[in-house]
Amino acid sequence: MNARTLCVFASLAVSLAAPVSAAQADENVLDHVVVRNRLYEPGGKLELSIGAGLPLQSRLTAHYIFNAGVAYNLFDTFAVEARAGYAASRHTGLARSISESFLGREDKRVTDELQDLWQMNLHGVVGVRWAPIYGKLSLLSDLPAHFQAYAWAGGGLGSFQRSSVIQCTQVVNRELGICDNRTSVDDRGSATQDYWAKESRVAPVASAAVGFRFFILDSHGVRLELRDWIFRDAYRVNLVRDAWESGQTTGEPARSPGLTHLVQFDLGYTFSF
Amino acid sequence: MRPILSLALLVATAPQAAPRVPAPAFALAQVQQVPAPGAETSLPPPPPQPSPRPEPMVPETADEAVSPGANARSDSVPARRAPPDASASQEEAAVGSEPESDAAADPEAGAEPAPTVEAEPAPPPPGRDGQAAPPRPDDAPELAADLGSDAPRTTDARQQRLVNGAPLYNPNVSVHIVQKKRFADEGRHELTLYPAAVQVNGKYTNHVGTAAHYTYHLQENFALQVMGQYNWHSNESAFNLELIDKVREQAQAASSLLLVWGAHAGVEVTPLYGKFAFLNNSLAQFSVVLSGGAGIGSTRHLIRPAVTNDVDGESFKVPARFGDTGTKFLGSVGGGFRLQFGESYALRVEVRDLIYTARVDKVDGCNLADFEALEMARSTNQEFSTLNLSGSCRYERFDGVDPKTKKNYREDIILGRDLVSEPSSDVLNNISFYAGFSVLF
Repeated sequence: MNARTLCVFASLAVSLAAPVSAAQADENVLDHVVVRNRLYEPGGKLELSIGAGLPLQSRLTAHYIFNAGVAYNLFDTFAVEARAGYAASRHTGLARSISESFLGREDKRVTDELQDLWQMNLHGVVGVRWAPIYGKLSLLSDLPAHFQAYAWAGGGLGSFQRSSVIQCTQVVNRELGICDNRTSVDDRGSATQDYWAKESRVAPVASAAVGFRFFILDSHGVRLELRDWIFRDAYRVNLVRDAWESGQTTGEPARSPGLTHLVQFDLGYTFSF
Repeated sequence: MRPILSLALLVATAPQAAPRVPAPAFALAQVQQVPAPGAETSLPPPPPQPSPRPEPMVPETADEAVSPGANARSDSVPARRAPPDASASQEEAAVGSEPESDAAADPEAGAEPAPTVEAEPAPPPPGRDGQAAPPRPDDAPELAADLGSDAPRTTDARQQRLVNGAPLYNPNVSVHIVQKKRFADEGRHELTLYPAAVQVNGKYTNHVGTAAHYTYHLQENFALQVMGQYNWHSNESAFNLELIDKVREQAQAASSLLLVWGAHAGVEVTPLYGKFAFLNNSLAQFSVVLSGGAGIGSTRHLIRPAVTNDVDGESFKVPARFGDTGTKFLGSVGGGFRLQFGESYALRVEVRDLIYTARVDKVDGCNLADFEALEMARSTNQEFSTLNLSGSCRYERFDGVDPKTKKNYREDIILGRDLVSEPSSDVLNNISFYAGFSVLF
């Protein structure tokens, strides 16, 4: 064979081998949809947000938290944020059931208050947000969604109130468990005042969260996060029934009451300037 | 010889050339594949075009320099226009190849018709050393020099190098997300171990366990799964014990039923996948997984919490006692993330809801009539073996004295009777957080 023949055979071999290698390469390529570069860079931008939180678990109290916040992104991955809001709170059905049945129970003359009965109302916190993860999600193989995953931590103050489910200072009907001024025995809603022992306070509150922020267009975003509001519990122990039913203060504060956690799923909207 | 070889070459190349001719759109949609850039390529930058061109557009801001945008695409880089038959995949590749501030713009706005993706409209220009330059991949980054900008020039071969298709060394690109799904799941097996599965919604119960999960990926987004779980800690919650202690209340037996183990089979789908950069340094691929299944689970209920037994001035700690409440139907739904590392390893973080029906009318096989008979026999100190009990009642569990703690088991009969005296039923949701790792093969 001369050089020309070798060249022809080499060309033939290359022509045959090329599609094989291309096919092998194509087998490794499953999708072409996720774009490559960072589209949103929040660094240096001011942003406003609103959000609403639902309780993940409710035992004796349930909270529905509404917040507004302002944040400044120092960097793409780091921001400082202030949030303030109001938590609409209530006793759960379980708490009401306990209060009604305990009113008629005569075999428990000395007891302790239940834990985790403080209800948060107004609150404000300042914290930092660290978003080390910037990602893209393929929606239906065609639409890339850009997001940041972040962790949030901060603290502030909150106003709290506590309504006992044990200490009724003015028993109206022990058998029916009535401790309010309802006009109809069967209609709890007709009451305008109840006689359960109440407390209120302003106390420090800490908050921590993890979540995602999905970017929409240039300035908008949707925020999904799991947030924990943490504050110190406080309740009294060694309560004497005769004392509290006569309107006297009884018992002493618990020495180590522990912390109360309000874990929320928060859905929010952010606007970046 | 030469005509024969030429004919052979023609015959050999003809079938390969066939797909290059224009084809109907529906066929092209299937065959258009952007060539994979390979694990790592090193490409020298193409030389500047010798032909005169209009005055380059100088960006006014650094952002424009970093993001050569529609100006660059429509005016300055006509040679890199994507052919129209590249369809959606080619469009995405074009979007991904340039900074994404341009993503909203149509990358094919000025595209001209071309027969195939691989068509070469013009011979490649000679390289610096006079040799032909290798073809430029579709996802190669733009040169700042081409745009006439003030941005750092990426004429250096190292800066042009692509790593898994991403210009990791290009100073003009701020973050790099790999473009293609690099790991195929179809036809693969996956074994997952969840060392910790922790219940997160425990109002009356607490569960902590370990689970194992087998998945066979029938398709890229659809799999069959089998899962087993053993809860090595299952007990009533501190909240329930607090209610018992302070207000003499407790959850109904059905509401505080404990799951000892469960096994279920079902399907898993991965409708979404994505990639993320951690601090702009490392890339990871993840999938969103959704699962559902059905199976069975074994349940139990707390009869007596741990107590201290005082006998003859000596105290013994008696552990909590549980009664078997039978096997129940189990349903499972869940969702989470699977973070893949290489071809064979993955991390899974999921939340699953194990749903089981709970009806407590027997404890350790004994129903209310059995407990009434046992209680009567206990008061008269009668032998339990002589009683006419139901066949499933394991009365020996309520008889005798523990030699270690001196606890008389007959004292638990009244507690067992209380559980079944008011038969209760409920549908329980045991929502747990699972964290584990997978091996794929």
